[in-house]
Amino acid sequence: MLFKRFLLVVLASFLAGAITAQNAEQEANLKAAFIYNFTKYIDWGNYDHGSDFVIGIIGDSPVTESLNEIASQNTVDNKRIAIKTIDNASEIKDCDILFIPKKSRFSLNYLLRKARPGVLTISEEAGFAKKGTAFNFVIINNRLKFEANLKAISSAGLKAGSQLLKLAIIVD
Amino acid sequence: MFKLRDISIRNKLILMQVFTSVVVFGIVFGVFIITDVNSYKQRKVDSMISLAQVIGTNSISSIQFQDPEAAKKMLADLHNVAPEIIHAGITNKNGQAFASYSKIKADSFKIPVLKGKAFSFAGEQQLFVSNPIVSNNEIIGDVFLQVQLTELQKIKHDKYGLAFVLLLVALVFSFLIALMVQSYISKRLLKLVHAIKKVGKTGEYNKTLEEDGKDEIATLIQAFNKLMEEIKESQKKKDEFIGIASHELKTPLTSIKGYVEMLNVLEQEQPKKKFVEKTLNNVNKLERLVKDLLDVSKIQSGQLKLDIKEFNIDELLDETIIAAQMVSGTHHIERKDHPDNKMIFGDKQRIEQVLLNLLSNAIKYSPGENKVVVDSEKTEKELIIKIRDYGIGVPKEEQINIFERFYRTKGVSVHISGFGLGLYICRDIINRHYGKIWVESADKGSIFYFSLPLKHSFTTQQTQA
Repeated sequence: MLFKRFLLVVLASFLAGAITAQNAEQEANLKAAFIYNFTKYIDWGNYDHGSDFVIGIIGDSPVTESLNEIASQNTVDNKRIAIKTIDNASEIKDCDILFIPKKSRFSLNYLLRKARPGVLTISEEAGFAKKGTAFNFVIINNRLKFEANLKAISSAGLKAGSQLLKLAIIVD
Repeated sequence: MFKLRDISIRNKLILMQVFTSVVVFGIVFGVFIITDVNSYKQRKVDSMISLAQVIGTNSISSIQFQDPEAAKKMLADLHNVAPEIIHAGITNKNGQAFASYSKIKADSFKIPVLKGKAFSFAGEQQLFVSNPIVSNNEIIGDVFLQVQLTELQKIKHDKYGLAFVLLLVALVFSFLIALMVQSYISKRLLKLVHAIKKVGKTGEYNKTLEEDGKDEIATLIQAFNKLMEEIKESQKKKDEFIGIASHELKTPLTSIKGYVEMLNVLEQEQPKKKFVEKTLNNVNKLERLVKDLLDVSKIQSGQLKLDIKEFNIDELLDETIIAAQMVSGTHHIERKDHPDNKMIFGDKQRIEQVLLNLLSNAIKYSPGENKVVVDSEKTEKELIIKIRDYGIGVPKEEQINIFERFYRTKGVSVHISGFGLGLYICRDIINRHYGKIWVESADKGSIFYFSLPLKHSFTTQQTQA
């Protein structure tokens, strides 16, 4: 009996973990959770910006809402989490994390240039990690995964934990 | 039915020691095994909880980033790291299965109800361990491990085997030690028992045992020695009494006998003559008893002296037979051998006393008209005289005892008078002649034998002595 129940639970959890393209809300939630979880494995070192931990989002994204929810309940290194929608590239310098949603107004190269060391860049466009973002969300087999560009992480002056990197698809 | 009391003290001591050591060793080994098994279990629990902690820590990121594949891959490594784990599972904070692992050929995995406990044992075979996965003070899941305790069975089996072998060794050693130690106690006891038995048999009360130590056995030996002393003392007093009494009785008796004999000569008128004769008969009987007592007293005090001279034993035999025949008219005493004037060295009077005693016994113990046969046999060294009767005989178990002082055969002696001194005196006289006296049972009645060394061998034995 117990075994059967366990099997059922296993199946259910796999289903729950699966991402369907239709379910955009769920995807956004997951991405927001991932972004928050990244903070637990990233060492910002000396790049300490201010009293708040700032997550910047270029333009509008469904992730913003989910992140706001997380920010209201959690902290990073005992700092309040501030979610900022960025319309002006000059604001990028205050961010600890910069999330670049699909169809961003700015070109990737422009954004990467603006993002000085100490900013963790996260994108969700195929091939962006290869082009220089630290992490990039991809969907493989209906599951949300992420690519990691080690060069980008180190050139941003950050350190990523091995527990994080073991789950990442290393691209460069 | 087995009785503890029937076992000798020696065996009891051994049994006690062996039993004690086996019980003690058994308890010690039992405690050791239990402690060992428990400590093994505790170690296993500790190591499995540590392993679960490591698994938990390593799967934090997998849970956070919802990557069950990574967790599964990590769990798969258990196959090499901890082969005794047959099932492993990770659940998320809602208790839903996140990743699992099953050893090949393992049965289905059941998540046990641990009720908040970190571990539980399913019998002696399996161990369940659960450990929460904590990230930033928040429980984000649990790790479950099901461990097959194959090693525990092996350890138990080995320990029990070892304990059994050691117990056997301890048994053998304790037996050997007990065997050595017991002799210290039982040897002395047995020595005492032996001494008591010997005294009981020989009646020699002058032997004392050496007192060693101050324990109970030494006290027993002391008591025994004191008892011997007292017996010796009372024995001595008795002997003295017999000596004095027989002596004091003899003097007036001699005088009475003299007067009665005189009366017997003077008195011719019936029925006075008959009364005198009866009196004389009884006086003679009384005199023989007193003489016996006197002889015993002499034997005891060592005053019995033999008057050794050479004499004709054949003549003595004939004379004695006639004398005995006179006493009993109803019996027929018959001599079987042919007299050939055999010469013997010895005290003629004492040998006559022995012969008379044996003949009167033969007559006494064969009531009615029976014959008594006297026979002799000459060997190279000695002359054996046989006196055979057809009477009641002597039971085998009493044959050794009848030569003892004051011994009377059981049951039959009630009707037959005497002190039970005759054969004792006979044995002493014959022993002093370096001969032997003994009795054998015949199909009816008994045969009394005594041997006397012939002239030449008697002298050699005398010089040796």
